[in-house]
Amino acid sequence: MDTLTWAGALGTILNPVLVAGVLVFVAGFVANLAMSLVGMRPGEWVVQADHALKLRRRPVDYALLTMKYATLLCVLAGLGYIVGGLVWMGDPQRAGILGSMAARLLPVWIALLAMFALSILFKRRLGLYGKLFDSPVGMIGLGLVMFWVFCAVFADGIAPHGPIDVISQMRNAKPGSALPAPGDGQFAWYLLGGDNLGRCVFSRMIYGAFEVLKIAPLATLFAFMVGITLGLPAGYYGGRLDTGLTFLANLVLAFPVILLFYLLVTPEIVAAGIPNYLSMVMFLFPILFAAILFNSRYRTQPLRRNLIVGVCVIGGGVAYLSLISNPSDLRLPMLFRLWPEALDLFDVPGNLLIVFVSVVFVNAPTVFRIVRGLVLDIKTRDYVAAAQTRGEGPWYIMLWEILPNARGPLIVDFCLRIGYTSILLGTLGFFGLGVSPESPDWGSTINEGRRLLTIHPHPALPPALALMSLVLGLNLLADGLREESLKD
Amino acid sequence: MLDHTPKPGAQLSSHHDGPILEIENLSISFFTRAREIPAVMDFSCTVMPGEAMGLVGESGCGKSTVALGVMQDLGTNGRIVGGSIRYKGRDLGSLSPDELRAIRGRDIAMIYQEPMASLNPAMRIGQQLIEVPMIHEGLTQAQAWARALEMVADVRLPDPERILRSYPHQLSGGQQQRIVIAMALMSKPSLLILDEPTTALDVTVEAAVVDLVKDLGRKYGTSMLFISHNLGLVLETCDRICVMYSGEAVETGAIGDVFDQMRHPYTQALFRSIPLPGADKTTRPLRAIPGNFPLPHERPQGCNFGPRCDYFLAGTCDAAPVMMTPIPDGDRHESRCLRVDAIDWAAAMPLAGEHEAPPKGDVVLAVRDLKKYYEVAANALFGGGETRVVKANESLSFAARESETLAIVGESGCGKSTLAKVLMGLETATSGEVLLDGRAIQNTPIEARDTRMVSSIQMVFQNPFDTLNPSMSVGRQIMRALEVFGIGASDADRRARMLELLDLVKLPRAFAERMPRQLSGGQKQRVGIARAFAGGARIVVADEPVSALDVSVQAAVTDLLMDIQRREKTTLLFISHDLSIVRYLSDRVLVMYLGHVVELGSTDQVFSPPYHPYTEALLSAVPIADTAVHKRHIGLEGDIPSAMNPPPGCPFQTRCRWKAEVAGGLCDTQVPPMRRIADGHEIKCHLTEEILAKMDPVITLGPDAAP
Repeated sequence: MDTLTWAGALGTILNPVLVAGVLVFVAGFVANLAMSLVGMRPGEWVVQADHALKLRRRPVDYALLTMKYATLLCVLAGLGYIVGGLVWMGDPQRAGILGSMAARLLPVWIALLAMFALSILFKRRLGLYGKLFDSPVGMIGLGLVMFWVFCAVFADGIAPHGPIDVISQMRNAKPGSALPAPGDGQFAWYLLGGDNLGRCVFSRMIYGAFEVLKIAPLATLFAFMVGITLGLPAGYYGGRLDTGLTFLANLVLAFPVILLFYLLVTPEIVAAGIPNYLSMVMFLFPILFAAILFNSRYRTQPLRRNLIVGVCVIGGGVAYLSLISNPSDLRLPMLFRLWPEALDLFDVPGNLLIVFVSVVFVNAPTVFRIVRGLVLDIKTRDYVAAAQTRGEGPWYIMLWEILPNARGPLIVDFCLRIGYTSILLGTLGFFGLGVSPESPDWGSTINEGRRLLTIHPHPALPPALALMSLVLGLNLLADGLREESLKD
Repeated sequence: MLDHTPKPGAQLSSHHDGPILEIENLSISFFTRAREIPAVMDFSCTVMPGEAMGLVGESGCGKSTVALGVMQDLGTNGRIVGGSIRYKGRDLGSLSPDELRAIRGRDIAMIYQEPMASLNPAMRIGQQLIEVPMIHEGLTQAQAWARALEMVADVRLPDPERILRSYPHQLSGGQQQRIVIAMALMSKPSLLILDEPTTALDVTVEAAVVDLVKDLGRKYGTSMLFISHNLGLVLETCDRICVMYSGEAVETGAIGDVFDQMRHPYTQALFRSIPLPGADKTTRPLRAIPGNFPLPHERPQGCNFGPRCDYFLAGTCDAAPVMMTPIPDGDRHESRCLRVDAIDWAAAMPLAGEHEAPPKGDVVLAVRDLKKYYEVAANALFGGGETRVVKANESLSFAARESETLAIVGESGCGKSTLAKVLMGLETATSGEVLLDGRAIQNTPIEARDTRMVSSIQMVFQNPFDTLNPSMSVGRQIMRALEVFGIGASDADRRARMLELLDLVKLPRAFAERMPRQLSGGQKQRVGIARAFAGGARIVVADEPVSALDVSVQAAVTDLLMDIQRREKTTLLFISHDLSIVRYLSDRVLVMYLGHVVELGSTDQVFSPPYHPYTEALLSAVPIADTAVHKRHIGLEGDIPSAMNPPPGCPFQTRCRWKAEVAGGLCDTQVPPMRRIADGHEIKCHLTEEILAKMDPVITLGPDAAP
């Protein structure tokens, strides 16, 4: 079978269109830049007699308009590849690499369409999430993020090959290369080529999304739990407690992150159980958080309080003990093997635990500082004084009066921080720390591709672009959320 | 070269003879993605040279938008959609950005509400001041500096050299506002726009700043556009007034005409809702304006004020847009009312129904010799350095009875908020005692108080936009208070009680599901009151509960408080600096200065001589919106001393105008004792009985009273 071309049969039409779009955009951009430098200004909105606003156009506006339409043209050409791929679904030769990838991603397109259609339909009833659909930036961000989320969810259906399936003839194969002897029902091409071991780059990128999205949001969530649980009292009480906690946070922040990771994965340190002790402390915070949250809320109704807090502590406790202990692993210190095997619901691989611990350890101090700053501002409000004068306890005030009103900046930071964590995971993978060597996660893949980058750039570029687009999406999403949460 | 001899009007007449500012049929709209929001419609006014025009109205009526329109600074969404603004005959709308920049600051200057926000905190005062003439008139640095020195002396700030070298944060709020005024006058503008220039300041400081603006206006012949919601302040400063309602001017004319012969129902309703001398909570209660201010895109057909107007006539008032019509015998007096001739303007206000003054019961709260000191460490981190003591409350003694309203009056920093904190249990007293129904509570912090005690002292807060948790529904917040106070056996019980509380504060029951941001300021304040009364409070500390509300809403909320008080026999501690409202609703008044009680007595005793010298100055500083009232003018020099470093002897001695009357320099050395001068009237002053008896009243009613 032949090697696939990038654009396939549509290339003859769409490639010139795409090139034209890019050229026109560049021309418009240069013209705009030149005119701005000369001192020309864009036109103004003028009120007409019937109170309608009309833009009085100047040359700069026309340059901007050109750029806008050129962008539209490029987007249309891109859509053309996707549609073409879907139309010729069974015929990769005509669909080309882009079209075939679009066809493989069919579940993602359907899920994205359904999500956007439903959300826009009911956006007035969906609070802040609904308002996101008023902001183009937010929508693009959400689209990018959800693209990768759906990729991760449907990875098995999308990836044509397994993440560690090796075909030795396909080592460093160019994108679109055909398999030497495709098996029955096996997809006969490596769409984005093969890496230095002969694995499918496209499939590994898709599986990598799952690896990244499995860890990043959850680790960020834990970092927030720790940061919030410590930041609230530091800001609210102030004084010695604040001084001490802030000092600790600064201490962690001042330590070089990469060095910290290297230390955490050093065999001696792992053997001493330090990551386990750290995780023992960190995973305690979510239970603590939930217990305090409900205790302060229902303290006036002891029966309901006991029930809810009890469920939290017992349920959370079992999960916690299962998480931190692994009786079957004899290398662990005795403390972590006390929990009976029968009650041990799940085990977390040791290296994953280390990744988790390092991410939480590095992010929690920053969250702590943000929360502390927000609390310092909000605690001067009259509704906090009102809660104090009706005799509410400090934790009720922190968790139910202050925290909900600090949510705006925290949600925005959460989105940004998932992005940073993804990059951090990439960095960890790049240095070969934490995750297993076979793992298809983007950082490790980039690292493997790095060695032959000058000769074969294709194994390293797709995961790098994937990481970039995910983080860009999260940043845009955060921007959109910030913008919309300020409006009312 | 630096010839600043006052030549009123000289600068203007050389260029232009007509009016300084002519606004004709101005309409301003803000354009949003969804719709056009008209902020100002068909607004006209003329300001002659040397004239001061007052622009009065409630928040959201468009008065600030007019000012921004004059400055041609409406932001990206604002557009002038009709009419014209002419400054000395030139249409400001047709000027280029460069020409506008030359006019702003030099010919038209503006003073904003928040002095701290108008000054650049990173630049020294002097640098900020000299910029103005250096940019606009091309003066050299030395010349500009000389003018800045002169200007700072003109705004009556001591030690101009030192002031010019200091940073904004080193000055008090009143001093900062004086600097802002100096900056505005640096280039001798012919029009000065003041947007609520004194709202952020204390009354005595406000009085001094207003005096200053008046004098400087006269000295330099500057025309003024004075924007305020305070009718009394406008009466004191302006020659003409323009009353705005919902984007339109509804009445305009000379101050005397509008105040004494108002010809628009809104103006009349406004005057009936503010507490003027003579109003009384039992015999002559205030009349709040019914209904709510219409939102810009929900304005009614015809007259905007129609739905809230007592004289509304269907078919006439809601037919077509109403135009301004001149009133025959007045000096450029105009009104936007179709029924001017049909309304009997001389008719007395219909009384809303008198109330029995409730009998005062037993003493509920007694405070004896209460002291509250704070220790402030010089260095918080390492705890070293000398500790300084702030004496926030110094031997306070008073008692409050059931069903009584005790007003606590004083300027910021006088210790009234600290007193409230000690009462609430947020702080414990340094010494002395606070007795609630005979139980000492001064050393019981709020965590140690039992539910009954906590629910019996509750508080209503000042800022309506801050008093409710923005992310919890109104009903939930009241129900939480009920939960904490242990009222109701089940959630259903509490829900029923919460709905009753909403009825009590006259809010619709549907509000239970609303979020605070969907409520107006007055409505939020009502929810705050409902929350305070949730546990059957015996004592309610109201910390300036209406000062942040618009005047028409103030009356309604004040009445509501009085109403609930009568029903629940609550003791109300009403903290305020607004003496008009204190005179209207309180039974007894406690005047505080720098942590001391300086005067305590019934309302009549405190508001008539003999006064404590501070009370006298305070009374003189309060602007009263009544042309029949004559006030003696008593200026108060300087600022309130810092509580960190109070003066020796009498706390008020640094600013007292009677100090010379006390023999032997007693004021400098000894704190005066609290003296009884009549039954229930106590004064903390060294002045002898004879001198006190000679004091003249500050406020006299009636046109023939001595000025």
